[in-house]
Amino acid sequence: MAASALQPLEDLDQPDFDAFAVERAMRGNHPDPYPLLERLRRQGSIHKLELHGLFSDEPDVEMSPLSHYAVLGYDACNRVLMDGETFTNKEAFQHSLGKSFGRTVTVMDGAEHERFRKVLQKAFLPKVVARWGDSLVAPVVDRLMSKFIDRGEADLITEYTHHFPFQIIYSMLLLDPDQAERFHKLAVAQLLSSAGHPQGPEATRKLGTFFAALLAQRRANPGDDLVSHLATVEVDGQYLDDDVLIAFLRQLVNAGGDTTYRATSILLTCLLNEPDLYEIVRRDRTLLPRAIEEALRWDGPVTTTFRYCQKDTEIDGVLIPEGSIVDVCLGSANRDPTKFENPNKFDINRERTVRHLSFAGGPHICVGQHLARVEMTRAMEAILDNLNNLRLDPDMPPPQIIGYVLRSPEHLYVKFDKA
Amino acid sequence: MKQWMCMNCGYTYDPEAGDATQGIEPGTAWEDLPDDWICPHCAANKESFELEED
Repeated sequence: MAASALQPLEDLDQPDFDAFAVERAMRGNHPDPYPLLERLRRQGSIHKLELHGLFSDEPDVEMSPLSHYAVLGYDACNRVLMDGETFTNKEAFQHSLGKSFGRTVTVMDGAEHERFRKVLQKAFLPKVVARWGDSLVAPVVDRLMSKFIDRGEADLITEYTHHFPFQIIYSMLLLDPDQAERFHKLAVAQLLSSAGHPQGPEATRKLGTFFAALLAQRRANPGDDLVSHLATVEVDGQYLDDDVLIAFLRQLVNAGGDTTYRATSILLTCLLNEPDLYEIVRRDRTLLPRAIEEALRWDGPVTTTFRYCQKDTEIDGVLIPEGSIVDVCLGSANRDPTKFENPNKFDINRERTVRHLSFAGGPHICVGQHLARVEMTRAMEAILDNLNNLRLDPDMPPPQIIGYVLRSPEHLYVKFDKA
Repeated sequence: MKQWMCMNCGYTYDPEAGDATQGIEPGTAWEDLPDDWICPHCAANKESFELEED
């Protein structure tokens, strides 16, 4: 299928608008929310407060006016996530992700959610995404690395991790590689609606127009790509609703790339801050899955998700009233000492008897979790294989993981022996 | 080896491992799981699982 047959994605009316800078400002630069989360968790697993306000000066114009309860303990977080009847998604996300992406599964509940979720998840099951490691991930990471491997130094965030998961998704959808920069900008710009920026709805509208044409094209002349599959799959004898597919594609080009880039950046930061540990993992690749899971637990890219309380519910002696927004703090749950010994330590050898909640849990557990693991593994293997004697650049600022809801370092300056 | 995969999230029930979160002992066959057992990751019921054979 020739991507050139489509009209290109239309740029923002203000082409030089820096969506990335605005998005960074929205995320804030909080260096470490965990000490405060720990203090609060010691006082109780549930508090009547909005977490966003504790860590950011930038108000969330959609969410902040609502009544919030913050859930911090592991068991309490898991209970909320697993009970999809009492704690629902639609009302929690319709003003944020619902505005940005449209009728995505994130804003569905119950039977409607189950119907679409199973079809979408089927395209991202472990056996499916494992095949993409060679066909999609490897070419992208190799292409990005070729641009700096001869230089002996790089910023692994701005030159590598910030691009590879987005470009993998573009390959998955057979999008025009020459438009990668524009796709990335509009994918990020979609989320600016929550801060009241007009470029948010503009990006949502323009991506919607593009994806509608893409679906029509692939449905008329299907190939073996993901869009063709989604455009032609039938449930009960009918195609999936176009508005649901368009919303899914909007979400895929945003969240599917953003979370993996952040998680990989955090993992690299953890390992390069401990050179001996980096070397141990480099020599023994069986440890890489443990390092990935520990980085996700220790400082996952998404610290908090949200649910809406459908009926008065008591958890750990605290009544969460019907109609409350529940801030489910995944980052706090992952540092709960009743589940993880010495939880503030990055320890790839820790026992894994309790699963971390970085991909959330319950009916809305992350659809892309298996793809994220494949992408992180391949991106790390390319670094471990090809960047010899990799170390932090001593002449540049060390990496600092910042942000509250979404966390990552902005830069990771490294040196390595030239190829 | 027979394993069962949750079609809602991709979790695999491994009879050799059981499911400690719901008190299911290692070695418990799929057929012996109680009817009200749910996926420990996404809370889907047993009907959401499909047999996977390597």
